[in-house]
Amino acid sequence: MKMDESELIRAAQRGDQTAFEQLVRLYDQNVLRLALNLLRSPEDANDIYQEAFLRVYKNVHTFRFDCSFHTWLYRIVTNLCLDALRKRKVRREEDTVVETSEGYLDRMDTVEEGRADGDPQRQLLSRQLRVRIRAVLNDLTPRERTVFEMRHYQGLRLRAIGEVLGTSEEAAKNCLFRATQKMRAALGDFV
Amino acid sequence: MKCDEARKTLPLFLYGELSFEEEERLESHIDECSGCREALEREKALFQSLDSAELQPSAELLAQCRAGLEQRLENTQPERGTFWDKVREGFTIHFHFAPGLAQPVGAVAMLLIGFLAARMTPAYFPGMFHAASIADPATSRVRYIEPAGQGKVQIVVDETTQRTLSGNLEDETIQRLLMAAAKDPSDAGLRVESVNLLKNQPQSAEVRRALLYAVQHDSNAGVRLKALDGLKDFADDPETRQTLTQVLLTDQCPGVRTQVIDLLIQHHGPSMVGVLQEVMGKENNGYVRLRCQRALHEMNASVESY
Repeated sequence: MKMDESELIRAAQRGDQTAFEQLVRLYDQNVLRLALNLLRSPEDANDIYQEAFLRVYKNVHTFRFDCSFHTWLYRIVTNLCLDALRKRKVRREEDTVVETSEGYLDRMDTVEEGRADGDPQRQLLSRQLRVRIRAVLNDLTPRERTVFEMRHYQGLRLRAIGEVLGTSEEAAKNCLFRATQKMRAALGDFV
Repeated sequence: MKCDEARKTLPLFLYGELSFEEEERLESHIDECSGCREALEREKALFQSLDSAELQPSAELLAQCRAGLEQRLENTQPERGTFWDKVREGFTIHFHFAPGLAQPVGAVAMLLIGFLAARMTPAYFPGMFHAASIADPATSRVRYIEPAGQGKVQIVVDETTQRTLSGNLEDETIQRLLMAAAKDPSDAGLRVESVNLLKNQPQSAEVRRALLYAVQHDSNAGVRLKALDGLKDFADDPETRQTLTQVLLTDQCPGVRTQVIDLLIQHHGPSMVGVLQEVMGKENNGYVRLRCQRALHEMNASVESY
């Protein structure tokens, strides 16, 4: 019998491993997509994925249903990602976008899933533009970046983003506003 | 609306994050301003370009992540929680209503009363326990230890027991326990669940008082909102109105304040106008102000007091 989300959570709280795995499968693709886009490194995204779900596994008994499971899980994931991004800023790690004699190249272009061949719109968009956008994303603060990723790519409402980040909808809105402003300034002449 | 303001709101407009009024103002401006129409088109093009920069994890990466997680889970046990987690777990109400049984009135509440306590058990049981008979150390507590000679040791243990109570929501004991749980300072989740059940019994004066207490004093906005929900049929009760008016003027959460306004304006009255005007004078939140403003208009009252 197929269980709904809250039944899966309660079963996982009782130690039901299969229920926990089903719960992971409900969310793991979006979690991985978020981590990959934020950290731009498959290795780091893999680490975040494992660490996040391991924390969920260890602490699922403390989940009290006073927010949605999605919010609770995303709180864990974004905290891990923000920590990683901040550490990276401190360490000034090598960026995935590098400048070569042939222009900007993004190491990530070699690891992502091939895009749909039949989509003419995608075919028209130049690789150079993608690379440039990624370079601009790297210049956003970790918080602006996270809000932008969650709103633009994950489609979360600002209110939900505020809940995930433990802040108000208004603060999330300001963050998104700054992020889009920076991107418009950097890409306005390119688009 | 001026062009500067319009251009600033374009991204939020495309994300669908503007309020109805803001969207209306922007749309009317765009209808009349060709410059901002072009700016909107450019913003849309920028959004489409941004879409193209999204990375999609490969199936291979997803498989690697899942395999890695599986391996780590094999070597990990879920944490069992602290002593107090267990106490809370003991108090948790797992409530399942049959599909379609939307009104839980009369439903049977199953309450796990955890850990009736150590303090209620006799403090000393000489020679009563054998080490092997002692329950899980996580649910018992060593009170003190005494050497007992001949290499033996005597340990006094406070043991706790769980009791299961069942009864329906009208049951006095069940209500009393729910009301106590609704004030448990350590666990907002438990308070939400308790208030969620209690709100179905607001006709009991005692329950109503517990809901009013939660609306006024609970630190968690989710609990306060649930309690407000239970009070919606009592918006004409003087005691309820008095408390809600106080909450409207002092609560930190705009969501709570908005819901209080909705409850209070169900019953218009001259005193209501004064309260709403007072709110207009001090309210910073745009949405709450708007809600107040509308209510005052509906009551044919001016927005400001003179």
